[in-house]
Amino acid sequence: MASQLIREWVGIQQFPASTQTKLLDLLGKLKHENVSTLTILVMGKGGVGKSSTVNSIIGERVVAVSAFQSEGPRPVMISRSRAGFTLNIIDTPGLIEGGYVNDQTLEIIKRFLLDRTIDILLYVDRLDAYRVDNLDKQVIKAITDSFGKEIWRRALVVLTHAQLSPPDGLEYDLFFYKRSEALMKIVKLGARIRKQDTWGSSVPVVLVENSGRCNKNEDDEKILPDGTAWIPNLVKKMTDVALNGSKAILVDKKLIEGPNPNRRWKEFIPLIFALQYFFIIKPIQGAIKSDIAKEARPSWELRDVGAASRKF
Amino acid sequence: MPTFAASSHLLNPTLTHSLSSRRRFPSSSQNPKPLTSLKCHLSSSSSSSSPSDPPTSDCLSVKPLNPSPLLDSIPKSLASAAAAASFAILLRFSPIGGGGGGGGNGFGGGGGGGGGDGSGGGFWERLFSSPAAIADEQQNPEWDSHGLPANIVVQLNKLSGFKKYKLSEILFFDRRRWTTVGTEDSFFEMVSLRPGGIYTKAQLQKELETLATCGMFEKVDMEGKTKPDGTLSLTISFTESTWQSADKFRCINVGLMPQTKPIEMDPDMTDKEKLEYYRSQEKDYRRRIDRARPCMLPMSVHREILQMLRDQGKVSARLLQKIRDRVQKWYHDEGYACAQVVNFGNLNTKEVVCEVVEGDITQLVIQFQDKLGNVVEGNTQTPVIRRELPKQLRQSHVFNIEAGKQALRNINSLALFSNIEVNPRPDEKNEGGIIVEIKLKELEQKQAEVSTEWSIVPGRGGRPTLASLQPGGTVSFEHRNIKGLNRSILGSVTTSNFFNPQDDLAFKLEYVHPYLDGVTNPRNRTLRASCFNSRKLSPVFTGGPGVDEVPPIWVDRAGLKANITENFTRQSKFTYGLVMEEVTTRDESSHISPYGQRVLPSGGISADGPPTTLSGTGIDRLAFLQANITRDNTKYVNGAIVGQRNVFQLDQGLGIGSNFPFFNRHQLTCTGFIQLKQVEEGAGKPPPPVLVLHGHYGGCVGDLPSYDAFTLGGPYSVRGYNMGELGAARNILELAAELRIPVKNTHMYVFAEHGNDLGSSKLVKGNPTEVYRRMGHGSSYGLGAKFGLVRAEYAVDHNSGTGSLFLRFGERF
Repeated sequence: MASQLIREWVGIQQFPASTQTKLLDLLGKLKHENVSTLTILVMGKGGVGKSSTVNSIIGERVVAVSAFQSEGPRPVMISRSRAGFTLNIIDTPGLIEGGYVNDQTLEIIKRFLLDRTIDILLYVDRLDAYRVDNLDKQVIKAITDSFGKEIWRRALVVLTHAQLSPPDGLEYDLFFYKRSEALMKIVKLGARIRKQDTWGSSVPVVLVENSGRCNKNEDDEKILPDGTAWIPNLVKKMTDVALNGSKAILVDKKLIEGPNPNRRWKEFIPLIFALQYFFIIKPIQGAIKSDIAKEARPSWELRDVGAASRKF
Repeated sequence: MPTFAASSHLLNPTLTHSLSSRRRFPSSSQNPKPLTSLKCHLSSSSSSSSPSDPPTSDCLSVKPLNPSPLLDSIPKSLASAAAAASFAILLRFSPIGGGGGGGGNGFGGGGGGGGGDGSGGGFWERLFSSPAAIADEQQNPEWDSHGLPANIVVQLNKLSGFKKYKLSEILFFDRRRWTTVGTEDSFFEMVSLRPGGIYTKAQLQKELETLATCGMFEKVDMEGKTKPDGTLSLTISFTESTWQSADKFRCINVGLMPQTKPIEMDPDMTDKEKLEYYRSQEKDYRRRIDRARPCMLPMSVHREILQMLRDQGKVSARLLQKIRDRVQKWYHDEGYACAQVVNFGNLNTKEVVCEVVEGDITQLVIQFQDKLGNVVEGNTQTPVIRRELPKQLRQSHVFNIEAGKQALRNINSLALFSNIEVNPRPDEKNEGGIIVEIKLKELEQKQAEVSTEWSIVPGRGGRPTLASLQPGGTVSFEHRNIKGLNRSILGSVTTSNFFNPQDDLAFKLEYVHPYLDGVTNPRNRTLRASCFNSRKLSPVFTGGPGVDEVPPIWVDRAGLKANITENFTRQSKFTYGLVMEEVTTRDESSHISPYGQRVLPSGGISADGPPTTLSGTGIDRLAFLQANITRDNTKYVNGAIVGQRNVFQLDQGLGIGSNFPFFNRHQLTCTGFIQLKQVEEGAGKPPPPVLVLHGHYGGCVGDLPSYDAFTLGGPYSVRGYNMGELGAARNILELAAELRIPVKNTHMYVFAEHGNDLGSSKLVKGNPTEVYRRMGHGSSYGLGAKFGLVRAEYAVDHNSGTGSLFLRFGERF
């Protein structure tokens, strides 16, 4: 995929002027920090709107979106450059298949990401899902197991379908709060983020509305129910995360395959062998000897002509 | 004039065993033990030998009528010993004449009177004039009526010498007590006459003579009373012999002592000479006592007998009989089958001296016999047999039937002989000595066997079809006992289909070399070298619950193995050696598969599962050291196993082979069988309840191919799950507890088990636990009952909460 041509980011011109300014601003800020490439990995369950989000960010219909069929079994990287700045977005297939995390898909993603650096992880889920379950945990766990806990320092939780009316007359803000709280809880659990890891609570939650029916403000920007234009907001949050001082995740062979378990402690084998000989085999031999000494012998074996004591 | 009646006592334990000479070689890599068929029959023969010298009035003979209590008890115990097949116990015993009696101190019948101051036989003799002797003449069932009026008393000498009288009843009349004693009296056993028997006058007279001379009675008479139906009622009236009361008891071992021949007493001796004679006799006897070796009789029995003496006051014939029985009972109970009381001396003093022949072994003879029972030169070297014998069976020890049984079992475990007899026989040259003969029939050294079988495989629709009939079978050969040192070579080839043997061919070639340190060295090390192959379904590639069929992986191993086993006890041993093997992993259709397969949700199969081998090619070659130390002190308490068993197994890779495998794979198993209640041991007694605690740790450091990963789940891991259903991991821990409660002659049990991968499933390359969606840990609990070899158990799988019923063979622990 590295051979793929990096195209000019033309989609940016489709954004309303105010969005464009904000985006270019942010890109400039990144360049200022000597960041000229941003690689974004988009992951999540199937059908939550990963591809739509990618399309929205790029501003082009780069990835085929299908409402019912999962997007294709392979991850796709879209690279766009603008004013010397390169944006790579990697869209991945949904991780869930048949109620389980599909290891094979995960394996393909990992292999696809080999030797790349991930700057940002977008963990995508829906805002209008009311519940978190074990499956979410499994997905998060799979991501953590694959890329390490550190990836959550470069992660954003993206909630799609932001334009909704909360059920039972709940306040929108309260609903959003509850939903993000529940999700964050499961993220922390699945990613095994401990309480001491203060950065754990700083994973930002961003709302996204990819629908064409999305409300727009006077500048023709797509806005959320609370009035913020979400694309610049998302990019801003991404910029923040990119600049938060944590290290980007380099996906190398070691990270994908994990440390070779066959190598672990290998140099200690002679020592282990010696310990086993002296602390297991020898004591067992001793125990056998004491068994022999303690063995109850029949009286005829003990009583012998010489041994019989003559008493009157 | 004292003379000595020779009596003889026949008792000859012959230990015979039969062993099935056919061996089968199943395709499994383990060599089965030969089947041993057990039979037990008793042939008790009691032969009587008439005394070489007719007993005179100077000697006392005690004549136990029925020597068989010993004969009865021995075969029973031997049968339970399970070692051997047919037993005939025959112990011939040539009697010890007994020493010269002390003059005034000896006891003597003194012509039936004399109150003990008589000439002094000073000894007792055992005499066997067996009932069989007379029974021979009972073949003619006809008998004659007495031909006299009913209810008149007839003296014995008034009876007709030509008639055969039938005795309808026999009464004993104790003149001293003036009562009739019942048949339960100890004297009754001395009489060979039986009610209902038919006897001639001569026989009755002989019987009377025997009784009169046996020393038990001062006076004996016999008289008949006619009955209306023509039979006789016989009354034996007697006066028991008695001696001075005694307050000391001494038991001496006179085995192997030369018999002192009494000096003929001249009837013309003067009183002074007589006195001199008695004195010298007394002195002789003292010397004899002093020279005698100590005997084994324990203090407790001594005390018991002293008590008997004290309670009784006067020493009577009955009492001596009782003492004799008590002493002999102790010896026989302890297994000293050849021990017997031969004499009582020093009567009419304050001390009763009981002379015992314990049955010292003077010689041990090992004999080989051919099929016809002729003595031949055997192929087996005698040190091989000698090292199996307990030292109590060697020269100068006292023969014990238990030592004999032990020898029998040990020799049997060599599996070299079709028939083994351990046979004590009296030593003619040394009176009171025993020669232990070991008679062996060797098995054929070379053996070859072909067995065939047809297997009918269910074809389409479950019906057997002709095409699925496959001829299979085993070809095996064996060369045993090479050089007479129990070395052996055995080989076998098994296939389930002779037309296509390459499909499924199991072979094994093994060389066993025992007594590595020399046959006379007590260290028991055995070298085994073998060439083997095996084919097993890998439990690593098994699906978890709810996962459809995982395509199986077969693990074929073929290689060479050489190890040395050192046996510490029958159960505890240490084995160490080198294994070189080639492991090939194949899929269902026998194609080599380097990766496990899995079924995709779409129904397709992808071959990108966990790697099956270290090399990644599907074929691994490796060499490693293997050691196994087993400590096992379990024993059976009334059929329940109690004790401890610890096993440590270690496979140490040497870095030789594909990808230079270097690893340390270790397993420690500890099983304790804790007896929860003390019970009395003995046949037929109920077994105690037993708590079984079991722990198994397995771990591996270094290169771990998936076929060597530890799997969790299965009847020998965590019951209630399938083999490998819980996972395959680098380190595992299994814990189990089982409570066994005896019910009738079997037991019921409840159990709980847990297996855990300790989070090490991901440390196996490819993480097969996760790929096949297994939990990595699981518990189960349940209960079951044992029926013979079969266990029926209901186990609840704790992961899913469902229970199922299992039928299994053999033991879990």
